[in-house]
Amino acid sequence: MEQVEIRVGERAPSFEGRIEGQTTVLAFFPDEWDPSRPAQVSAYREALRSLPFGAQLLGVTHDEQWLELDTAEEGPIRFPLVQNQNLASTFGVAGKQAVFVIDPEGVVRWSHVGPLGTTPSLDELTASVQRAQKPGVSRRTLLVTAAAASLALACVPRRSFADVPQTTKGERSITLNVNGKDIKVAVDPRTTVLDALRERMGLTGTKKGCDHGQCGACTVHLDGRRVNSCLVLAMQAEGQKITTIEGIAHGDQLHPVQTAFIEHDGFQCGYCTPGQIMSAVALIKEGHTGSDDEIREWMSGNICRCGAYPGIVAAVKEAAKK
Amino acid sequence: MNSFEYKRATSVAEALKEGGTFLAGGTNLIDLMKYDVESHDKLVDVTRLPLSKIGEMPGGGLSIGALVRNSDLAADARIVQHYGVLSKAILQGASPQLRNLATTGGNLLQRTRCYYFYDTALPCNKREPGSGCGAIGGFNRIHAILGQSDQCIAVHPSDMAVAMRVLDAVIMIDGPKGKRSLHIADFHRLPGTTPNIDTNLGKGELITSVALPHIATHTKSTYIKVRDRQSYAFGLVTCAAIVDQAGKFRLALGGVAHKPWRATKAEDFLLGKPKMAENFRAAAELELKEAHGYEHNSFKIELAKRVIVRALTEIS
Repeated sequence: MEQVEIRVGERAPSFEGRIEGQTTVLAFFPDEWDPSRPAQVSAYREALRSLPFGAQLLGVTHDEQWLELDTAEEGPIRFPLVQNQNLASTFGVAGKQAVFVIDPEGVVRWSHVGPLGTTPSLDELTASVQRAQKPGVSRRTLLVTAAAASLALACVPRRSFADVPQTTKGERSITLNVNGKDIKVAVDPRTTVLDALRERMGLTGTKKGCDHGQCGACTVHLDGRRVNSCLVLAMQAEGQKITTIEGIAHGDQLHPVQTAFIEHDGFQCGYCTPGQIMSAVALIKEGHTGSDDEIREWMSGNICRCGAYPGIVAAVKEAAKK
Repeated sequence: MNSFEYKRATSVAEALKEGGTFLAGGTNLIDLMKYDVESHDKLVDVTRLPLSKIGEMPGGGLSIGALVRNSDLAADARIVQHYGVLSKAILQGASPQLRNLATTGGNLLQRTRCYYFYDTALPCNKREPGSGCGAIGGFNRIHAILGQSDQCIAVHPSDMAVAMRVLDAVIMIDGPKGKRSLHIADFHRLPGTTPNIDTNLGKGELITSVALPHIATHTKSTYIKVRDRQSYAFGLVTCAAIVDQAGKFRLALGGVAHKPWRATKAEDFLLGKPKMAENFRAAAELELKEAHGYEHNSFKIELAKRVIVRALTEIS
């Protein structure tokens, strides 16, 4: 059945968890929400802080499907997390990333729908929530609901970050140059380049495998050299040029290494592929493609659990000729 | 990982003034902090310090800045030509990505990859003095056979340091009490009763460079690394070997002790003796005479002997 997307101005389908008479922010991000990841919780908290009512996320208990917000005036309020796999289809956004702002009457006042990885502006969201709120409505009337999702992942704050109150020790706003663009992002000193890319900038092409420099899935180029982005602090990379898998194609024209990986079946599941490709691009530039053995040795920092190594070697060899 | 303060220093003086824990390539430090094996209140990023050059020393030899990346060091034409063993050793360590991050100073300071050291749920005298050693009586395939104590049988994981050991490298240090230098023999420590202290680098001290004494061009050298897979694995037994200007063998072993193990007994035995297989074997036997293995690593004793013989044969 073809899904029909719910538009602004239409009545939102009813779903368990929404309370009539309250503004609801509903965010869909089907695959990535994991409350055990501190970076996500921290980003989520930040997003909530930026909303006009000062709600603060204290904790997310995965098992009970509740999230707890703490408002300055009224103390902690617990809100349900909607765990409804069909809800995305009901809203016509299955497989997409989407955020809906539903006013107290149940009418969609604002929405952002796009492919996974696209991020709406938090400023826009904040403004739409303000518009949906009726004057005189208390802080408690806002219901934030996340459907197996994280608002923070759906909405990456892009502006006014310096104005966000700083609560984490040493957190500050830095500018990272990613794929030729300067991007401002507030980070905790612990944030690695990998986490900054994935969790804060929505650049999820770079993968987190082991997170300990053992698998190569997180390989990016730092000032033109391939490195494990899981072991570099974001603050360390300030002033350096970061190139990720998202930055190697020219518009719609794939990088020759990308094309070669497709032609030679250089992958099965594809999880290690962005790292393999970033490593291969560097390796060709380094000039270590003299023989299959040399390619194998110099690609050894990238592990492929599917064992697509013969295809990878063939792809590198092919791309090196171009 | 516990939170910490991040500072970036732009000069050695500034770094020393900041104190804290120095952060360079981070390939080991960040990893250890992620596992909560180490926790620091303040990291001082030293990667912007002007210590990234390889320079020629007056009177011969090379001075390697502490921040020279492993990949740059291994590829340097002067290193390849005069100190080939160092280039060979580095290129057999880690992966290209890690070598692009890892620095000369940081490589010397990397910590053991003993499983018990890394697992905070298990006892380890190196991580938590007095808690015991999980490896003695535990799973100890990768552990030491020489120079260990009843407190610790961890090994030093570096390949680079083993090569530097045969090259008699000197480590240049700056610190709150001024500049000093340590011969690499005196830099790393055996575990004894203080396995928590890896090196003789003092509190607040920073490695600024490593000096390689002059050596004859095209000195015959080899670095042999035996490991569980062909690439991107720590060595079970490794051996750096050169024949110096006077025709004397110099040998150091990795993967067998808490520090790069200079095989002085074997070297002395071979002085003035014909370069032949039976002398090589006798030298190896002598060097490993006091070796002691455990349940899973006793194979290293015979392995080390064979690696020594092979290294000596290769460069003869």
